[in-house]
Amino acid sequence: MIKKYLFLVLIVLISFHLSAQEWVVPAEEGVKLSPFAFNDSTRKVGADLYNTNCKSCHGDPGKNNVINLVPPPPDVASVKMQTNSDGALHFKLVQGRAPMPSFKNILSSTDIWRVISFVRSFNDKYVQVIDTKKGMAGTAASNVKIQVAWVKEQNQVQMVISGMKENKIQPVSGAEVKLFAKRYFGNLLIDEARNTDAQGKALFNFPKDLPGDSAGFVQLIAKLSDEAAYGEAKADTTLAIGVPTYRPPLNEQRAMWNVVQKTPIWLLLAYTFTVLVVWGFIFYVLLQIRAIYKAGLRKDHETTD
Amino acid sequence: MSNNNNSTDDRINSEGEDKNSRRAFFKNFGLIGAVAAAGGAAIYSGYKYEESKPNHDMVKVLTADNRLVEVPRDQIKDIKLDTSELQRKGREGLKGHRFVMVIDLSKCRNARKCISACQGAHHLRPYEYHINTLVMQESPETAPYYMPKPCQHCDNPPCVAVCPVNATFKRQDGIVLIDNERCIGCRFCIAACPYSARLFHWEEPLMSEADKGKPYNIELNVPQKKGTVTKCLFSSDRLREGKLPYCVSACPNGVYYFGDENQDAVTNGTTKETYRLSELLRVNGGYHLMPELGTKPRVFYLPPKNRLFEFKDTRDQDKEKI
Repeated sequence: MIKKYLFLVLIVLISFHLSAQEWVVPAEEGVKLSPFAFNDSTRKVGADLYNTNCKSCHGDPGKNNVINLVPPPPDVASVKMQTNSDGALHFKLVQGRAPMPSFKNILSSTDIWRVISFVRSFNDKYVQVIDTKKGMAGTAASNVKIQVAWVKEQNQVQMVISGMKENKIQPVSGAEVKLFAKRYFGNLLIDEARNTDAQGKALFNFPKDLPGDSAGFVQLIAKLSDEAAYGEAKADTTLAIGVPTYRPPLNEQRAMWNVVQKTPIWLLLAYTFTVLVVWGFIFYVLLQIRAIYKAGLRKDHETTD
Repeated sequence: MSNNNNSTDDRINSEGEDKNSRRAFFKNFGLIGAVAAAGGAAIYSGYKYEESKPNHDMVKVLTADNRLVEVPRDQIKDIKLDTSELQRKGREGLKGHRFVMVIDLSKCRNARKCISACQGAHHLRPYEYHINTLVMQESPETAPYYMPKPCQHCDNPPCVAVCPVNATFKRQDGIVLIDNERCIGCRFCIAACPYSARLFHWEEPLMSEADKGKPYNIELNVPQKKGTVTKCLFSSDRLREGKLPYCVSACPNGVYYFGDENQDAVTNGTTKETYRLSELLRVNGGYHLMPELGTKPRVFYLPPKNRLFEFKDTRDQDKEKI
């Protein structure tokens, strides 16, 4: 009987431990492999990305100077980190879970693989297995070119994608593409993700009220979602399709809170008027005193005469 | 004969000596003079060289790219960063922008990461807040929620209007800043601010020893100065680099959005996803704090709806700690 209870308690404890600690990775995600071989250049880019995005929590690799969070971020050189498969690391970086943020909108898939290549450089026993099915990036099509144009009649942005396939330049069909407008702190998704048709075309509805610069120019970024198949295909285009926007500086108007040069007119007038009235009165009094004094002098003359 | 020879030799010699003595005199004189001149010149040049020779007292210096190098002590020159340039840039602001912040109250779990990131950047003590996280409850029946409250960077700022020395000012991009080198510590602005966003350094600020002699950065308020006022700066130093503010990028729960009203876009600090500002406010029912005052804040709030997590009241714990 006691044994039974102990067993139960053990089961409960283990399941609790698992639910609190384990980060379950879907099987199909866990077996994912990098489409390219890790080398010094991927490690170098990965190190830079690590320093800007990961170091603040995960610390310096191997130094165990991670920050105190629940659950604690493991050191990247630790066994706990290195026992993850490449696919599991990729999944965790893409998805995130509190308190670890998701990096899907911050780093591209290729960049995430670069970070993993840097992480793997702290594991001497690691031997990379490259995705043999896909081989190197750009198997579906290489040398991918994206052209972005404005279709005025339909108020749409057209994307045409072509690439080298079987040694011929062909339209890339059935690929997921996204269109972004560049903003100061990030890229704004325009419409939604679309798939290219047989001619390699995709059309995006462009909002009529999106502000551009003072001439209406908007910088557009076109991207293919599947980086493993097409490489880091990206196109930057600037089109005059936004609403021309000029808004004056916020400290331009005359206001009580603004600098002396921007004093409100009513205040300037009221102040000047008040000063003139006060000084005018003082001068008037002084003049009157002078007049009285002079009158007194005249009277003296008259009496002495 | 030999004597003769000798005498002739002697004579010749003596004659030679006689003959040479004048020559020798001049010769010797010239030689001595030349030697003396050369010696003098050598001594003089040696003296000059000694005088001009660098002092070989070496000093170890850590360069900006983190290399340790040795430099002769007398070749070290004190340089001062152009603080007037920092001041000019800081007063002017970023052209063509109108920065806005959106705070989604439905997501705040009081993680306090924004606060610690802010305090770290601006060298504040743990009890000095540029962002206050308030516990709000509309009525006893409604659910409580957390409300982070930074400076609202009003378009009609009462704090700036009352400053007698033009120390606090509004820039063209909408940010209200304080110049701690002008601030006289009168605290009028603290009294004028309806959002209680400002705080006064009654004591020597944290890290004031370490910050001593550092050039004052008006966009960071570092070094902080005793006897002056400080408040949220929308991390204007980060905005200049195109980065999100310290608090916004530190939040783990996706509470903060930050962006540019002129571009009608805000970016979430946690997910880095960008949204249309107008749509975000319209769909979620965004609002201002105390709009009736006419201060026109640049911080929007999204109401605390659909909160799918438990509210942990930490107030009692705080009381116990105190």
